[in-house]
Amino acid sequence: MSDALLTGETKSASSTPRALPVAARRNILSGRQGRRVREALLAYLFLTPAFLIVGVFGLFPLVFAAFMSTHRGINRIPGTFDGLGNYITAIGDLIYLLSFWSILALIFLAVRALWRGAHEARAHNDAFWGWAAPGVAFGVMVSAGLGWVVRLLPLLLDIPNQLRGARNTPENFQRLLGEALTAPQVMQMMGLMLGGLILGALSAWLMARLRRRRHRYGNYTGSFTLATILLALAGAIGWLTWAELERRIENSLSAGGGLDLASQMILISAGFLLLWLSWKLWKSASHRETMAGAIFRLMGAAALILGAWVLIAEAPRVIAQGDRVWWNALLATFYYSLGTIPPQLIVALILAVLLFQEIRGRSFFRVIYFLPYIAPFVGTAAVFKIIFSNRPTAPINSILNFFGLPALGWINEPNGVFNLLTPGVSLPAWAGGPSLALVVIMIYGVWTFFGFNTVIFLAGLGNIPKEMYEAAAIDGAGRWAQFRHITLPLLSPTIYFLTLYSVIGTFKAFNHIYVLRTGAALGTTDTASVVIFQTFQRDTRYGYASALAVLLLVVIIVLTIINNRVAERRVHYG
Amino acid sequence: MAEALAQSRAVASAQQRKKPPIFRFAGAYLVLTLGAAVAIVPFLYTVSVSLMNLTEANGGAWLPSTPQWRNYIDAWNQANFSRYIWNSVRIAAITVAGELVFCTLAAYAFARMEFWGKNLLFSLLLSTLMLPEAITWVPNFITVSWLGRVGPIPWINNWPALTIPFMASAFSIFLLRQFFMQVPSDLWDSAQIDGAGHLRYLLQVMIPLSRAALMTLVLFSFIGAWNALAWPILVTTTPDWRPITYGFFAFIDEAGAQFHLQMAGSVITMAPVIVLYFFTQKTFIEGIATSGLKG
Repeated sequence: MSDALLTGETKSASSTPRALPVAARRNILSGRQGRRVREALLAYLFLTPAFLIVGVFGLFPLVFAAFMSTHRGINRIPGTFDGLGNYITAIGDLIYLLSFWSILALIFLAVRALWRGAHEARAHNDAFWGWAAPGVAFGVMVSAGLGWVVRLLPLLLDIPNQLRGARNTPENFQRLLGEALTAPQVMQMMGLMLGGLILGALSAWLMARLRRRRHRYGNYTGSFTLATILLALAGAIGWLTWAELERRIENSLSAGGGLDLASQMILISAGFLLLWLSWKLWKSASHRETMAGAIFRLMGAAALILGAWVLIAEAPRVIAQGDRVWWNALLATFYYSLGTIPPQLIVALILAVLLFQEIRGRSFFRVIYFLPYIAPFVGTAAVFKIIFSNRPTAPINSILNFFGLPALGWINEPNGVFNLLTPGVSLPAWAGGPSLALVVIMIYGVWTFFGFNTVIFLAGLGNIPKEMYEAAAIDGAGRWAQFRHITLPLLSPTIYFLTLYSVIGTFKAFNHIYVLRTGAALGTTDTASVVIFQTFQRDTRYGYASALAVLLLVVIIVLTIINNRVAERRVHYG
Repeated sequence: MAEALAQSRAVASAQQRKKPPIFRFAGAYLVLTLGAAVAIVPFLYTVSVSLMNLTEANGGAWLPSTPQWRNYIDAWNQANFSRYIWNSVRIAAITVAGELVFCTLAAYAFARMEFWGKNLLFSLLLSTLMLPEAITWVPNFITVSWLGRVGPIPWINNWPALTIPFMASAFSIFLLRQFFMQVPSDLWDSAQIDGAGHLRYLLQVMIPLSRAALMTLVLFSFIGAWNALAWPILVTTTPDWRPITYGFFAFIDEAGAQFHLQMAGSVITMAPVIVLYFFTQKTFIEGIATSGLKG
């Protein structure tokens, strides 16, 4: 519509050439092309403030945290370069495994980006490899930009130290900033960036000229750029890992011992490979027509799992080298996630389905359910701390007392719930389950979020067409059958969204856990975020806290991928 | 088909007429009321304890014998709440004002304008939603102290550190963009014929039309600012700009076993948000339901 309007304008302008000065027609900011340029410029202007803030405080921290995590950074910023030292402190030798697999993943993603691009090009009968030159050049430009940031950062961080006292003047700051920007190692990256930009622009322009005669042509620069950036990242991780390994080998040689690292890594990797294979087999078994084939495959899968188990049994020894506090934090986070998400989704689904009937006071219930989500969590967490306190006169304990049960420690109880459920039997440490204190925090989590989930479920139920139920009722479907075969499948996008949202949310969770933690619970309630916060705020270990945060991000990314994979098959967009 | 539908509707309504709805849904009402009770009891208990005296609060009573209204005055004075509430109001006001301007502009650009790299920028923006807050603590703390040391005003213990990082969020931009995209594009065409540019169109057509969305945004960012805890702990070392969440968090430890004062403080902390919620709950819940789903 607006295009038609535009062409109308230009036509009328060209039909009366005298009314328009020649210079104005030549101007790049007029005419159809010019309008688009002007609109884009205005859009960038609109985006600038928001992206300045999101960029500095939302995206840049990712690069900055990765940078900080390779530095010692205790009390001093950024401190001395330490390679993967922080990661080794956190998870021991497992970091080699992690970096090996992440390099493989990055290469796989790069190849897939290229393969998809080539596939699409073939489908449209386009040239593909010609776009390699501009793509790689732009990729080099972006990678060099990252390198530029990493090289500039320590110089920038040093400026405040030189600006102490009377020398803190704007002139001095400008001088130091200039010095930092023109330092040789920074200029080198700047040159690489500019070179990539010029080369990319030139070759892109050339490609576009060569292709102009074709009616339409696709632009596949993006695939190559993405692949180049991914490969550069893989290279950077590889370099870090290699440097660390060399140092390790030197140390162990001078100590006179060998290194059993390689064998460990290979064994554990092979274990995971077997697990993956067995999963593939398991999946293919469900498609088999004949019973015998399915059973055969399932048995194969079971055997592979057994093999994987034997190989992965090496893992605990490697894990033991890491930071116990960190492993416990990850375990607590997993428990918290597992203990909160299913109950809160089930409760919310039941309430939403009940509310969706012709119920009087629906909005009243909705308002009440939503209250825990909206109320400031410090206030509600403080109440939960009192309700679930270990005093015999506290509300929950007095209810237990009313039924003749002994009082419990609740929020102050570091013992695992399975230990408490089986008095007299001493379970091994790993079988104890989450501590009772963590269970109280899970209860708090369910209490806070069930209302939010109910509201989203209600919105999802509202999107299901009424006719479906009517048709099902004619066919004689009962209420359970309707729920099972209409509501659940059509609600699956909502369920998927809420699961993803809650998984990410529980792995990020900090505020209420920090308020609800007690000294008596002996750190059994400290989830990943809480440990990161303590490492940073209480211990001022900047580098180590950054490394832990990067590891948490890796966990979240892996969980998101798994969630998407599972959902791909189950979610029904009807 | 239509006849069959009408018939089935008639059958359904005949079934409904048999029993009054209150009995037909008795089980449902029972479960729903139970859920409501679970949601509301902790709040009632908070108010109840906040009105007890010391012995009742520690002795596990359920209701106060005579309401002790003095507790509120005591808690208010002991925890320095007048300072913290004023700080929280200031912080929330500055954040909300900045967020309104910056996010409206960005959301409009994403919803209505064409420019190179739109999809790339939008997916970069959305990717920040997945980042855990924990990964931003160390870098942002260093950035903020750096800016304060080389710039004209200090950032730590001052409003910039507490407000500026939250003035643009992916969530708010996404929410507003969804609303802006629902405004029919015919309006833009006729505005263009009348000679209006993007800025005029945004100010005179879009903003008045999406007042509900902007209200939702204001509520969200107000509550977000009121609830922040981790970041204020990191960037405030004096009470000058310390918000109420941090003030009350410190008071929980300080008041120790004086549960009645703790709970009075809790009521004071929660009251502004809950009052605001009850006045605007409709906008609020609709906002959550639409923004959460229409991804």
